[in-house]
Amino acid sequence: MRMVSAREAFLFLSLLQAAAGSSFTSRMDGMPPESVLELPPEEFCERAGLRGGARRIYRRLRESYDPEELLARLARSGVRADTLADAAYPGRLRQIPDPPPALFRLGREFPEERSAVAVVGSRKATAGGREIARELGRGLGERGVCVVSGLALGIDAAAHAGALEAGGSTAGVLGCGVDVIYPRQNARLFRGVREAGCIISEYPPGEAPLPWRFPARNRIISGLAEVVVVVEAAEKSGALITARHALEQGRDVFAVPGPVRAPECRGSNRLLADGAGVIWDVREFLELVAPGGEPERGDGPLSGELPAVEAAVLREVGWEPTPVDEIATRGGFGMEELLPALSMLEVKGYVVRSPGNAYVRVRVE
Amino acid sequence: MSFCRAWSLALVGIDALPVEVEVDISSGLPGFAVVGLPDAAVQESRERVRVAISNSGFRFPGRKVIVNLAPADLRKEGPAFDLPIALAILAVSGVLERGVLEDAAFAGELSLEGGVRGVRGALSLAEGARRRGLRRLVIPAENAAEAACVRGIEVYGVRSLREAVDFLAGERTIPPAGPGGLDSAEERVPPEDFADVFGQRHAKRALEVAAAGAHNVLMSGPPGSGKTMLSRRLPGILPPLTTEEGIEVAKIYSAAGEGGGLRRRRPFRAPHHTISTAGLAGGGSNPRPGEISLAHNGVLFLDEFPEFGRAAIEALRQPLEDGCVTISRAAGSLTYPARITLVCSMNPCPCGYLGDPRRECRCSAGQIERYRSRLSGPLLDRLDIFIEVARLARRELRGEERSEPSATIRERVVRARQIQLARQGVPNAALPVRKLREVCRLGHDAEALLARAIDGLGLSGRAHDRVLKVARTVADLEGEGEISARHLAEALNYRKAGVADG
Repeated sequence: MRMVSAREAFLFLSLLQAAAGSSFTSRMDGMPPESVLELPPEEFCERAGLRGGARRIYRRLRESYDPEELLARLARSGVRADTLADAAYPGRLRQIPDPPPALFRLGREFPEERSAVAVVGSRKATAGGREIARELGRGLGERGVCVVSGLALGIDAAAHAGALEAGGSTAGVLGCGVDVIYPRQNARLFRGVREAGCIISEYPPGEAPLPWRFPARNRIISGLAEVVVVVEAAEKSGALITARHALEQGRDVFAVPGPVRAPECRGSNRLLADGAGVIWDVREFLELVAPGGEPERGDGPLSGELPAVEAAVLREVGWEPTPVDEIATRGGFGMEELLPALSMLEVKGYVVRSPGNAYVRVRVE
Repeated sequence: MSFCRAWSLALVGIDALPVEVEVDISSGLPGFAVVGLPDAAVQESRERVRVAISNSGFRFPGRKVIVNLAPADLRKEGPAFDLPIALAILAVSGVLERGVLEDAAFAGELSLEGGVRGVRGALSLAEGARRRGLRRLVIPAENAAEAACVRGIEVYGVRSLREAVDFLAGERTIPPAGPGGLDSAEERVPPEDFADVFGQRHAKRALEVAAAGAHNVLMSGPPGSGKTMLSRRLPGILPPLTTEEGIEVAKIYSAAGEGGGLRRRRPFRAPHHTISTAGLAGGGSNPRPGEISLAHNGVLFLDEFPEFGRAAIEALRQPLEDGCVTISRAAGSLTYPARITLVCSMNPCPCGYLGDPRRECRCSAGQIERYRSRLSGPLLDRLDIFIEVARLARRELRGEERSEPSATIRERVVRARQIQLARQGVPNAALPVRKLREVCRLGHDAEALLARAIDGLGLSGRAHDRVLKVARTVADLEGEGEISARHLAEALNYRKAGVADG
């Protein structure tokens, strides 16, 4: 019988987990990884305690497993595989309970030597929340910190985009194969992240974004990072699962406080009540995780004073979404002067548009 | 000679083409045949004509009667040929003098007792008859006033076959009908005015810009925020109908059997989203104009736009590009005019409450994206102005300030539209891409702002062109030749919101 390498065994384990939807690594119980392919199938099933469906999947995959073919397929699609047996496997992730046996990757190697911060949050985020995620991503990127997130809509996308804007490194962790672009709206962001950083998944290429895979991938997001930041999370949000994993893995958890009545922020506010670190000032937080001075603000929101009308309009725009008609009534502006002023403020980065024909303020200066 | 001829007209689209009704009566076995591509309703006219003639106190010839409708390659539809056929038969059988039929056109459906019933498209029939050089039109009395809106032809309304015969024989005088229908029932209702709408100043301003540049609009907002109410008032601030436009609109309504004579107000049509493609674009085996054409020179409002069928939306493409609808069938194709201002409305998300401060939205991010992505493709390129309409708080609904009346807004719109027509011959919305650069000159500040907006707001190429067009209209509303930063900044407000900004 041919010698089985640990790498082949770990790849096989990751195929098993992707098919069965449960962890095999945790059942190995001291057995060397190679045993998954070396022991006779019956004996392995007995020792790993496999029953029913898991047993059937194991036997089916074991019969058809062809490591050479798998590696060739990966090479053709440009996907790299780092297993627990490889040096390129991220060290922090190795430490967590139940690490993925193999990571499939597009783009560069995960920048192990840098520190990494995960920025996560609701997919259905408010305009203000997205703006903060972007600012965090940009600040972290400027300070050479790798931004880890899940390439989902909303907060995730904004955090990645911020890191890319700063020319920093960023890693997107998926709940499907790395060649599956989901959601499609993020296609352009996918390309950006692949070029400037990496796209990572524990699922082999081509695997679909099944619902159970997203909570599982969240343990990788927190596992790759040293600090996890929850920007905005509703009460039942995947970001809270990431925070729970982070606590189990011994990572620091921070959250951004949100308005008391906003349903989008109830989960993240709850985290704060439970003792998560408070991000009350983005710069202070950045200084905490990545000390090293304030980099120059290249594209500061504005050089010089705001024109009088814009300054007056800005005073009427709240930190919670304020409808345009309300701004007009409060400040007594005519639409012909208000609409241009709002656009100017938006272009200059003071306000962003929010659903419901409203604007929300995002910057103090 | 046992032959006679009468003129009638066939409705093709909204135009009427002359048709010669030839009747020949020869010896042979008694019979009655109609040839010349008649449809079922025309075939049945044999029975109606036979009975109506008898019941009017005349004798139906007991010989072989052949009716030919020429040109024979034009499909004849509907019962409007009853009257000319009956009159021609009576002329051949000697009841009428042949000469009396010569300079007149006839149309009308006969009832079994000899009465004359109304027909579709009276206005178009009158115009067709005049174009053929005929001096008189004899038509059912109920359509006479509508037909009389056309100048240069005498219109006589008749109530029965007997009346028509007596009139032609000179035994009865009927005064020529005067134009009527100037105010149809719908038009007598006072128009809906923006003065009645409290608050919503942002949406009102956006609609003013839309009206001035003939831009198509997409409104999004929660249920009950007033999207329909606002759209209904859009026709009232569009420039008034010119006489020619009014006749065009009247012809379409007349061809659709909705009658009513000349229009002075721009139409507003709001079909339900379950409408069929034929209902929207027009057609059917007996073709009628669809909702798109009924909104010609006015506003077509599609509420709950994402719920409309794919085929129906596809049918909007041609009218938005060419200003007309062509319906092709095996029997031939016909064209209805359809130059419309399109206003679509949608909820911001499937449940409708995204961004509503008083009610929580229950949709997931994915659902919202999917809902919005239904609105994509070529039609999206035709929408220039995107408005979000918020639900009003109670205090705004009770606001005491009275808003600006539509008439004042319309004055500004008319002035802006005149500037556009003088400059480029078309409204800004119809500016071709190659003319865009030339017409939309930017001031120095505006140029700088645009560059910043492209980077900062991630404007795509298409969004860029759209913003330029709308900025042109904003400048025209102020009568400025050059687009300033302020105009451009206002136009930026009307761009599409959301992730897929395009």
